Amino acid sequence: MGNWLDERLALSRLYKKFFRKMFPVHHSFFLGEITLFSFVVLVLTGVFLSINFEPSIRLVQVGTKQLPAAYASVQFIDSLPFGQVIRSMHHWAASVFVAAAFLHMIRILLTGAYKKPREVNWIIGFLLLVFAVVAAFTGYSLPFDAFSATATKVGYEIAASIPLIGNWLAQVFFGGQFPTEHSIPRLTAIHMVWLPLIIGVLIAGHVLIMFLQKHTQPKYAEKIAPGKILGVPFWPQQALIMGVLFAVLVAVLALVGGLFNANPIEHFGPPGPATPNVKPDWYFLWIFGFLKMIPSSWQFTVFGIHVGSEFIGVAIPGILIVIGFLFPLLQPSKTKLRYIELPSRHKVRTATVIAVLAFFIATTVAAYKQGLGLSTGFLWFLVFGGPLVIGFIAYGVLRAIYAEDRDESEAVPGADASPGD
Amino acid sequence: MPDDDERKGAPEETSPQHRDAIQTDEVDAEANERFIQRRRFLQAGIGVTVAVTVTGLSALTVTGSLKPIAKITPQQEPPADGDVLVHAEDQSKPVQLSEIQPNAKQLLCYPKDPKTGIVKSGTDNNLIMLSRFDPSQLGPDTAPHAARGVVGYSGVCTHLCCTVSDWDSKNGWLLCPCHHSQFDPREDGKVMAGPAPRPLPLIPLTVANGQLTVAGGFMTSVGCS
Repeated sequence: MGNWLDERLALSRLYKKFFRKMFPVHHSFFLGEITLFSFVVLVLTGVFLSINFEPSIRLVQVGTKQLPAAYASVQFIDSLPFGQVIRSMHHWAASVFVAAAFLHMIRILLTGAYKKPREVNWIIGFLLLVFAVVAAFTGYSLPFDAFSATATKVGYEIAASIPLIGNWLAQVFFGGQFPTEHSIPRLTAIHMVWLPLIIGVLIAGHVLIMFLQKHTQPKYAEKIAPGKILGVPFWPQQALIMGVLFAVLVAVLALVGGLFNANPIEHFGPPGPATPNVKPDWYFLWIFGFLKMIPSSWQFTVFGIHVGSEFIGVAIPGILIVIGFLFPLLQPSKTKLRYIELPSRHKVRTATVIAVLAFFIATTVAAYKQGLGLSTGFLWFLVFGGPLVIGFIAYGVLRAIYAEDRDESEAVPGADASPGD
Repeated sequence: MPDDDERKGAPEETSPQHRDAIQTDEVDAEANERFIQRRRFLQAGIGVTVAVTVTGLSALTVTGSLKPIAKITPQQEPPADGDVLVHAEDQSKPVQLSEIQPNAKQLLCYPKDPKTGIVKSGTDNNLIMLSRFDPSQLGPDTAPHAARGVVGYSGVCTHLCCTVSDWDSKNGWLLCPCHHSQFDPREDGKVMAGPAPRPLPLIPLTVANGQLTVAGGFMTSVGCS
């Protein structure tokens, strides 16, 4: 049988080319796999949710109440055996998807794995993170309870605040001025068809490029077997590890989904005239916090185009995203990176990454402005001064601890002149 | 495109007349060849133009329809002079003056056309918030539009269109739960704190036949973008 198939499909060539790919052995290399597996869980649980969900806001009679059909269908899902657990798993898997992708990106950043020849995969990976967040956002619009309607409305208005094209763009994406009868069907199509398709294709490309370019090698590989590729082959060793990892992830998500009921729609009820006091999911808190910090006086009109404070509040995070997107291209290099770079030998870069993380934490703290009783002035200091201070402290600490680890030539622009080299 | 050309031109090249021409006279054949080339070029040009125009027009039509056409239903008509007010939560109940406590959390309501009996709750933009104060507390711009100390504002935050449904009891300000913009209902809905770019739109109120009534539309544009 194996021979018969091999003669026709050249399986042995496939085996040699892909199944013998070496996977470096290091725990930080599992973050990408966790991202991939959480996507698999999202698709599997999503299939169950999609066949029971009704994408409509028309009112239907449920008992004595008139409820939007989408809301009622989520109640129906929750009433099915394990329905609520599967819905919760879908929610938590989305959180893991975003978190693991983000940590994976930080790992790539800290080890310099974004450098030539892997810039293309950095860009694809960054796109994946952006689409993951968009998918999460469109996902929580669907149950159409008061919480999801509020969050989606804010998302709509943010999109509409983009000068010139915003209004058209938002109305295309959200099916008119949210909420209209077209909104939920359109967001459903985006969430259930187009985004999974785009993400699936991007993941395929990401993994294929990784197979072709090979992983960056851990530093120890340089000492043990210089010039050789060190690791365990995909089949069967790595595949077995992956299988175990997938099973563990599913088990953890099932446990968490069973224990913590995500987004219980009855808590907020169907959308009403009042806005519930809500915060978005954690991966939006940094933008949410930023929106609270921008003073209302920050608005201007240039050539008849009005730029409001609400747009400025998201434009600054937007600029950061664009920089993150393109920065590997700003560091041209002649050589191809083979081995990972140790964070301890790239102190400026490591300190910069820590400062960026501090920025995210500070803006997330800003989201709790009222609860913590913080003033806007203090928040501005925290968000812009805090990361600077922490960055310098991190640099100092790195120099003190890893004094004997001489810096390799720093790739961060302007770092060549720094005293650490 | 070159593939297309060759396919179109192919039968002509092999047609018997042309082969004859090549055999009999070389000059003639060359001229013939040029003619055929020119004709092919023209045919290809026409083909491309037609294809691009048809595809472009179709694409434009489809793109244009991506943005749904907004229909204004009677429930979405803006509030007008003479509309009475009903509770937003229970739209069968008209708002009574006595229900609005002074210096207390605002009351959410919708306008109702008394002639047709239609409650204009089809859009959040028609949401009206009522607050009551001692008339002496109201600013000079606000007082003329209040009815027995009751002032009405649009419920839609000018920042990102959440409903300004919370009440800051410490300062007596209207508070938006989304990004914590605060507005002073005594002073024309002025922004007191937070990211909102403009004051809340005021709506003039009056009392007719003992009933709280709208005395005109919102004085500035409602909404956030």
